[in-house]
Amino acid sequence: MNTFGLWMGLAALFIIGMGFVWVIRGERYLGFLWWPYIIALGAACIVGALFVANDWASGLLGAAGASLIWGATELKEQAVRGELGWYPFNGKKIPPPFVDVIRKWKAPSL
Amino acid sequence: MEINFVGLACALATFFGIWWGHVSVRKIEREVVNLWIPTVGALLLGGAFLTASFLTSNLALSAASGILAVTLFWDALEIAVRQPRRIIRGEAPANPNNPRHARILAQYPAATTVDLHEHEPIGRQYTPQEIAAMKERAA
Repeated sequence: MNTFGLWMGLAALFIIGMGFVWVIRGERYLGFLWWPYIIALGAACIVGALFVANDWASGLLGAAGASLIWGATELKEQAVRGELGWYPFNGKKIPPPFVDVIRKWKAPSL
Repeated sequence: MEINFVGLACALATFFGIWWGHVSVRKIEREVVNLWIPTVGALLLGGAFLTASFLTSNLALSAASGILAVTLFWDALEIAVRQPRRIIRGEAPANPNNPRHARILAQYPAATTVDLHEHEPIGRQYTPQEIAAMKERAA
């Protein structure tokens, strides 16, 4: 019996759970406009996972990359949740580099 | 250098597992009256993926199946418990054509048919009056 999938599934569940945490905290302190950088980081993790020889490390890096990309698409909705008062709101967020350019792009939301 | 596809398989399973769960939980909970049916369905499908992950010797397939299994188990919890709570709190729109949601709308003042997420961020908090106006406009 191969238990690799079960353990990887549980690890992915933990990674996804941590995704909820960083999306909430990240949006609160940084704002949703960081989304392109988060997507790029997630994509880099997935590409990097292709070149990691260890199966565990590769799998965890891939799951973390996907979770980062998903989280980036959740940032805009999380910003609205904060503005609606469902989560603590912070009016002094740290803007990302090239914020004026990013503001013109439509933030992804799935 | 040899390419390792375990990470890519995990990435695809994680992303599509979350995406499918996110979309389908909202849709199913909105339409279905008896939530135990899709809940059991998600558990059975998760069990099937878990069994597949045990039986295959291919690590990429095992990992992807294991991740899909666990996300389906989580979706069962979302359908049965967490999404109905969001409906009660007004954090997800209720469907007045679903008798279960109609009862929630009648019983819980915070429940609404309005999807309050359907806005662009404005950079400040909404006032209670603005939120009330949003709900009234759609009512």
